[in-house]
Amino acid sequence: MKSSQRRLVHALTAVFATGVLAGACASADPNAASETTAASFTPQPQDANAKITVWTDSTRLPSVQAYQKANPNVPMDIVTYDGSADGSTYLQTKVQLFDRTGSGWPDAVFASPTDVTWASQPTSPSAQAFAAPVDEGLVPADTLKNFATGSLAPCQYNGHTYCERNDIAQVVLWYNKSLLDQFGYQVPTTWEEYQALGDKVAKEHPGYLVGAIGDTNSHESYFWSAQCPAQQLTDAKTLRSDLRDPHCTKMSGLLDDLIKAGSVSKQGFFGQGFAKDYGSKVLMAYGPSWYGQYLFNSAFKTPAGQIAAAAPLKWQGESQTFTGNVGGGVWMVSSHSKNLKAAAALTTWLTTSDDNLKAAPTYPAYSPGAKAWLANPANKDYFAADVSGPFQQAANEVWTGWGNTKFSDATAWSSIVLPAVTAGRTLTETLPAWQSEIASEAKSVGYTVTTK
Amino acid sequence: MTALDTPVVVPARRATVRRAREGGLSGPLFVSGYVVLLLAFGVLPTLYAVYLAFTNVRGQFTGLNQFLRVIQDYRFWPAFGNILVYLVFWLLLIVVLTVGVAIVLRSRMPAPVSAALRFLYYIPGALAGVASVLVWLFMLDPSVSPVNWLLNSLGLTTFAEVLAPGHLSLIFALIAFWTGAGGWIVVMYGALNNIPQEVLEAARMDGAGPWRMALHIQIPMIRKWIVYMVILAFAAGTQLFVEPQLLQTASLGRVSPTWSPNQLAYSYAFQHGDFNGAAAISLVLLVIGLAGAGLLVTRSGLFKVDES
Amino acid sequence: MKRVVGLTLVSLVLLVLLVFFVLPALWLLLAPTKMAADLASESPLSFGSFANIGVAWQHLTSFQDGVLFVWLRNSAVYAVGALIVTLITSIPAGYALALTKFRGRKLLLTVTLIVMIMPSAALVLPVFLELNLVHLIGTAWSIILPFSFYPFGVYLVYIYFATSLPRELLSAARLDGATEWQIFTRIALPLATPVVGLVAFFSFVGNWNNFFLPYLVLPNSDGFPIQVGLNQLLSSTPSFNPVAGAGLNITSPELALAIIIAVLPVLVLFLFSQRTLVSGMLAGATKE
Repeated sequence: MKSSQRRLVHALTAVFATGVLAGACASADPNAASETTAASFTPQPQDANAKITVWTDSTRLPSVQAYQKANPNVPMDIVTYDGSADGSTYLQTKVQLFDRTGSGWPDAVFASPTDVTWASQPTSPSAQAFAAPVDEGLVPADTLKNFATGSLAPCQYNGHTYCERNDIAQVVLWYNKSLLDQFGYQVPTTWEEYQALGDKVAKEHPGYLVGAIGDTNSHESYFWSAQCPAQQLTDAKTLRSDLRDPHCTKMSGLLDDLIKAGSVSKQGFFGQGFAKDYGSKVLMAYGPSWYGQYLFNSAFKTPAGQIAAAAPLKWQGESQTFTGNVGGGVWMVSSHSKNLKAAAALTTWLTTSDDNLKAAPTYPAYSPGAKAWLANPANKDYFAADVSGPFQQAANEVWTGWGNTKFSDATAWSSIVLPAVTAGRTLTETLPAWQSEIASEAKSVGYTVTTK
Repeated sequence: MTALDTPVVVPARRATVRRAREGGLSGPLFVSGYVVLLLAFGVLPTLYAVYLAFTNVRGQFTGLNQFLRVIQDYRFWPAFGNILVYLVFWLLLIVVLTVGVAIVLRSRMPAPVSAALRFLYYIPGALAGVASVLVWLFMLDPSVSPVNWLLNSLGLTTFAEVLAPGHLSLIFALIAFWTGAGGWIVVMYGALNNIPQEVLEAARMDGAGPWRMALHIQIPMIRKWIVYMVILAFAAGTQLFVEPQLLQTASLGRVSPTWSPNQLAYSYAFQHGDFNGAAAISLVLLVIGLAGAGLLVTRSGLFKVDES
Repeated sequence: MKRVVGLTLVSLVLLVLLVFFVLPALWLLLAPTKMAADLASESPLSFGSFANIGVAWQHLTSFQDGVLFVWLRNSAVYAVGALIVTLITSIPAGYALALTKFRGRKLLLTVTLIVMIMPSAALVLPVFLELNLVHLIGTAWSIILPFSFYPFGVYLVYIYFATSLPRELLSAARLDGATEWQIFTRIALPLATPVVGLVAFFSFVGNWNNFFLPYLVLPNSDGFPIQVGLNQLLSSTPSFNPVAGAGLNITSPELALAIIIAVLPVLVLFLFSQRTLVSGMLAGATKE
């Protein structure tokens, strides 16, 4: 007993002593990391017959399999993973490990836009950025030009394009046309009209909802669309976060008002019980293009022919309309690939070919493909009116002032703002806490933060 | 299973035992296989982590700076605060209830009831990790939960309210207890079985009631097992990772992705690519765990060979 | 009177615990009998229909062409493989630590404990680098070998022998001229059946349920064990990941069914081994 006690004490003292001694010596900067300029991209020796490994999520798996079937001579190894859904860091984790061992990277990978922020830069001084700049001979400039305005913004870093956008999730105004007609309301076109209508609904038809803010991405629907500079990248290393900006306070005031009135729910549309309790009472929802199929059709089981979409709302007195974006994936090609050509051919087919895009599960970012998608009756049959106009308009109105940052924007919103709102605080009261959380997060991943 | 009932105990030979060197070279031989694994998957990785914690990404020596840096991280203290509250709940639950239940099952329940209960209590033990979190996602959501009346009576009507930041420590302690308790009840029950019947009989003759029996005979006699359980429960508690991590991705993100220190270390390593910072956080956890374990080991004499 | 109150109180506590432990499992068992929408709308503990189980089963087995079975097979390979190596290494080690004296015995116990307390997040990178160094990444050994390192088991065996096997028995055997190997195989091992069962059981369950290491180390989804597979199912379930699930039929009942399938081996094992596990520990009834 004595000896084991001594041994432990010795071990602990040794650890501390080393530490203290070490601290006393002049020692190097612990933070020597991250100062890595975009390293030039050195391709591996190419082999046109090399097998390409493709990582995809379950949803896009059939597309990849279709490509394999159509091109049986391309040697492919298809791997499924979570597709970076829900803020998963699986891909990033694995690439960190592969960078250490110098092998194992997939050649082409489906990922979230957030992934591009780390993939476009080396993970350590000795590593090479994971994503290959696709604009350097892999994908023709003409093809890249055809992606919806701003949809490639998350792919761009230091003047290069590191991914091809698979789909976008431009925010539009969803409404239940049957209910709206029944109540005798007009579809709002400005935020002010939306607020007025929300107040009116609360009085005339209590229980009906014009929105909900409790989802992990509700802030992207509302605050991004409102052009609130919550996380604006003024350059690659500087983040501006100013939630006192009128665009933010106007939006928080508007939502606080409607929450108080009762026509905007504090819960999330995708909560387990929401569909049961309120699914049939959703008059309007401000949200991404995939709400139509995934929220109203799948989750709420709203019958066909009731739901329609309208163009994004704008602030009264402002000439231009902007909107937000909620999700959407990208395809990246690995800079370590031994068969860049085959990998890029695959990702380009997946993101730009009509064959694939016309039946894609979500709205394609590639404009010609989006036309094919909208022409496909399966994507429109469900709606009460043609959604093509609002979708196409919104696709080109996504505000680029909401930075695609190295940290996920959902963390601060869901773990700081939403619990406070659930506990009874107003959004406006919570803005300072939100801002300081964004600032802390940004600093921890190396951004310089300004709040002006 | 009473193979040992034949008395082979020969106290008179005690002196010769010492001279017999108790095993000679066989000891080192017997442990060799395990030592190889221990070195490969325990010691070397730990040493490498220590190396990482005292250097930076270029391999330059940084002294305590990595530690200073992570301690100043805005997520550091909240994460350790969370885990501290969690540990209090978790250790209280696991120690009081597993030992208590094992004693009750051992001494006050008919054998078939006791066996059935042990099995039923154990069922969640099979549902560790991903499965347990998934089940609890449903249990804690008032809209689908079978105990929604209970949640409602506590004033919790939505999933978001249940997941209020102040509740999380307790929730994780409950999940951990739900999956972990059954196994430990089995172990404690087994340990209680090891107490010689004569000892209990003698105590009963002296007029000891069930309470006194438990406090003065049974608990002291399974002390080694309890200490062992506390050390492991404490270590496992400080390392809490899978539950908050999964709850975070599957719960509308209400749980911070760096809720526990281990998550913070993970986030350092794999999101920031900062393995040095991650190692520093892990070493802080290790020191805390060691301090706890050291205290328990020395106080209880867990390592002593000659236990009577 | 006091006794009656005490017994009632004790029974009440046992009952509350019983509900606490069993209710979530019962809910889980009933979930696949219902449709996704019924989970929210119908009484939580109601029974849907057997037909729904069939539907959920079909959806689940057609997910990525029956990848579920691949995951289950992988889990079995990892858990059983590691179990064998664990038993071979930890039983003799625990025995030697408890009943022989050699230099470094306490050091070994201390180091084992320290390593057990070391957070896994810090160990996974070094382990990964080691495995890569010996070219095991992508093979089943990259999971089996780290799983086989089971300090918990060594401690179980150590405590068991230290508390249940009289040293005098061994010294008597030594005086009778038995070799150390004979003592181990003829005296210690037969007495150790219960603890061998315990170690085997806990090791199997721990490895079957382990998520973190395979999640990080395996490069290929073909090699995923069921736990990592469950995580992938989760991210394909619309309730948890709204954008996914196009053309996929994975909803909450399918998820619940997958969980049940994933835990079934462990539960069956426990049911059949519980007698040996517990009653076996009656051994060692003689102590000084």
